[in-house]
Amino acid sequence: MSNFEKMGDGYSLALTQDEAHILINLVEQLLELLGEGDFFHHYDTSDPLAQLLAMPSEIVTPEDPVLMRLLPNAYADPEASSDFRRYTEPALRGSKQRVLRTVREELSVIVDSNEDGVVEALDADIWLMAINDLRIALSVRLEISADSFEKFELMPDEEPQKSVYAVYFWLGWLQENLLTALTS
Amino acid sequence: MSTITESELSVDQLLDRPWVTIVWDDPVNLMTYVTYVLIKLFSFPAPRAHELMMQIHNEGRAVVSSGTREEMERDVQRLHEHGLWATLQRDDKI
Repeated sequence: MSNFEKMGDGYSLALTQDEAHILINLVEQLLELLGEGDFFHHYDTSDPLAQLLAMPSEIVTPEDPVLMRLLPNAYADPEASSDFRRYTEPALRGSKQRVLRTVREELSVIVDSNEDGVVEALDADIWLMAINDLRIALSVRLEISADSFEKFELMPDEEPQKSVYAVYFWLGWLQENLLTALTS
Repeated sequence: MSTITESELSVDQLLDRPWVTIVWDDPVNLMTYVTYVLIKLFSFPAPRAHELMMQIHNEGRAVVSSGTREEMERDVQRLHEHGLWATLQRDDKI
């Protein structure tokens, strides 16, 4: 079982090849949902037309409920919310993308090695934020509520979504594990 | 919330009512994570951060900071970066 451990001044995380695969798949899916797909890399970004197309003229409220939860409204008032979003959403997206990209790079070392491995000297804050955003994304798709864990325990093994629930609760365990390492 | 009328605005200005940042409860964020983020972002002593986290959990929401609108917008932005569900509004206590 994977575990965060304090190592010198930093923290490390031992992961099996399967665990690293699960994590990197989720991270890449979320990066794509946040708008960072191969899309950007196929263009010559210095081309003014490409820049024009990549730049939304007006940022609207995200339609995907996962994005709506990750990039939520800041005001109850829709107009104030939309103004705030126009000025701040690119920075918020950018911050989440940077966090996920960092974790992706660390995971790719293990995935590319085809063996179990250890992420060494990881940035605990970055990992906490990344795991948290993955949990939020899965929770929206799984419609997680206060009694979801009880439901999961009673779920028959042949239930197709059971493995996704298992990943969601594993991520919670992993995050709790890192918090314990940080605060003890 | 409707648009602010001139008379309301002047009352707010006279009273110097501050803006507040509210964190809302959700079934996803771990209690330990919420406490950790409150300490990290607002430098609360651990017992105060724990108390606010319990208030969010039990009452559905808690005011975590107050100040100017610009300051609260920055706080909300930082809370969103950490995945907490936060909004800002004028303090409704007079």
